[in-house]
Amino acid sequence: MRRTRISTARIGGASRFVPFAILAVMIATMALLPVVTDYTVRTANVYDVFQNFSAYGLVALALGITIMAGEFDLSVSSMYLLGGMVAVLTGAGSPLVGILAALGTAVIVGCVQGGLIAYFRLNSMPVTLGGYLVVLGITYILGHSKSVMYEDYNVGLRLDQPIAQVFSIRSLISLGIFVLVAFVLRYLRVGRDVRAIGGDRRAARVAGVPVEHLLIGVFIVSALGAALAGALLSYSLATASPTNIGFDVLTFSATAALLGGVSLSGGRGSAVGIAAGVLSLSVLQEILAIVRSPDYVSSLITGGLLVLVTILWAPEISKWFRTTRVASAVESKRVQG
Amino acid sequence: MNAGVFGALERIRADRRRFGWADVALGLWIGVLTVLVVYGATTTTGFMTVSNLKAILTAAAFVGIIAVGLTVIVLSGNLFSLALGQTVAVTAMLFLYTLQFGLALAIVLTLLLGLVIGAVQGFAVGAWGANPIIITIGAAGLMEGVAVWLSHGQSIVPPASATSYQRLAEPLLGVPFPVYVFVALTIGLAVAMRRTRFGRGIYLLGENRVAARAAALPVTLLTTAAFALTSVFAAGAGVLIGATSQNASLLLTGSYTYDAIAAALVGGNAVTGGRGSVLRTAGGAVFIATISDMLLLRGYTTGGQILVRGIIVVVVVVLTNLRERSR
Repeated sequence: MRRTRISTARIGGASRFVPFAILAVMIATMALLPVVTDYTVRTANVYDVFQNFSAYGLVALALGITIMAGEFDLSVSSMYLLGGMVAVLTGAGSPLVGILAALGTAVIVGCVQGGLIAYFRLNSMPVTLGGYLVVLGITYILGHSKSVMYEDYNVGLRLDQPIAQVFSIRSLISLGIFVLVAFVLRYLRVGRDVRAIGGDRRAARVAGVPVEHLLIGVFIVSALGAALAGALLSYSLATASPTNIGFDVLTFSATAALLGGVSLSGGRGSAVGIAAGVLSLSVLQEILAIVRSPDYVSSLITGGLLVLVTILWAPEISKWFRTTRVASAVESKRVQG
Repeated sequence: MNAGVFGALERIRADRRRFGWADVALGLWIGVLTVLVVYGATTTTGFMTVSNLKAILTAAAFVGIIAVGLTVIVLSGNLFSLALGQTVAVTAMLFLYTLQFGLALAIVLTLLLGLVIGAVQGFAVGAWGANPIIITIGAAGLMEGVAVWLSHGQSIVPPASATSYQRLAEPLLGVPFPVYVFVALTIGLAVAMRRTRFGRGIYLLGENRVAARAAALPVTLLTTAAFALTSVFAAGAGVLIGATSQNASLLLTGSYTYDAIAAALVGGNAVTGGRGSVLRTAGGAVFIATISDMLLLRGYTTGGQILVRGIIVVVVVVLTNLRERSR
């Protein structure tokens, strides 16, 4: 079993290039913007793309890994807020302490949710929905239902200071974690095992994959990704709030993960694909910002993309089209005969 | 096939072991909650008053109507919808806008919009096997976008000439009108789910999708209808909420999505579908409204209320699952 190739066989085929094709189209659109329209595209816009990437990328990665394992973590959107809240409240002296506290909280949340899901064999949707409420409630309580300011503005400034014009410490941290996770998922046994429990859990269990431990690990990783992204964003904005800051995190990260080729039926997906998905959406948002389109266009396009990708990736879509075409062909033949 | 048989055998064997303690745990939990509610009711000042009980019923009515409708999706085995709050907001906006054409037409158009919104999502789930959670997240985003686009980001107020809609929010014999709607819809849907072919089809679909297909049930149609029905109920709530607040924007989305799901889960419906009932959900909605009201009276903040709701949801989900599995 150590040498089985469940996963590599499954990600084969042309569909693995789709995320990169979408990304290429997005980048080409942004590059052609000054040619076709009067708007100018600057290096600062590329910097913005990577800033968008760091705001939501790790949440998409976290959610993507749970989907790969055949589960779903609805609590990422409130874990994102709690991560920011804990970091701001405990990081007054040192931001590193704040981030560690946020990550510690995430480990606890992930352990509890993952433990319940793994050992009671529960459906992850209702459990993480309850978890979403619990985590959101704690965030409200910690912030006394208000936004909390982070006194040391310099931390945010330093995190967002441009490096090589287009990067920042914040976006480099996110990119670095993506590279690390991509390596783990691609080359280490644990990566194959995660896809195995998503693809065929029974077979994985029979083959000796430690399903329970992996599931708990997956939910810890999921909470960690959301908390770190939230903590970094809160330092950058010098504020944490129990209500959503800006864009709906869950919609963005689900769309990015699915655009990145993660299959909702589990067992398929890669960190590099998710990165392409997040970058595509980040570029799209930047394009919308450059042409100064109103906010609703962004939610229209993201919502539409999410529906579209979900339908395209749906398990029975090809069968449906095949059967209806066959059915109508038979029907017309009978009418002619 | 073999796997299925072995799975069933395994489950039966597991039953013997687990039977009993899952039921005992659930009984204990209900006991603990009852004691807490009774204790809270007798010690919270202002709880056992007529006006407060009315407040609880009114709060339960809005969430209850949405949650009772959602039960159809839950029973059909399609988990739940994450677009309920947006459906409420969008339909409330359309209702207040179309009031200029008369009350009856406004209600019909609003319910029709709800029907279409739900049917489209349900078709994608039923015909193509699209993931219901993700489809509804996407639909919610789309609805938000369209709502802001068409309303230019402004909240909708009813035309000055229209006053007929106010009847929908006024008390009737001392009880707010939405409460009657909640009770009537709950009873109507409960009967429909048990007595009609549609209702029994939904139960079978949720219990065993493969068997439902084998029995030549129209799976696509049933799923489409389940989402459409849920969405029509949300639209009905949208009418009442719009009439009550007399001002509709996306802010109405509020926490209706999660409150309705919490009500359906706390009522003890099996998330995997097939087992549960409309009455359980209605009970869950009233229970959550009671707890929230009590916490509010005792001075708990929003956070405390959300936290308690979340803990109850998690515990009930674990216990319901254990009990379902021990059958």
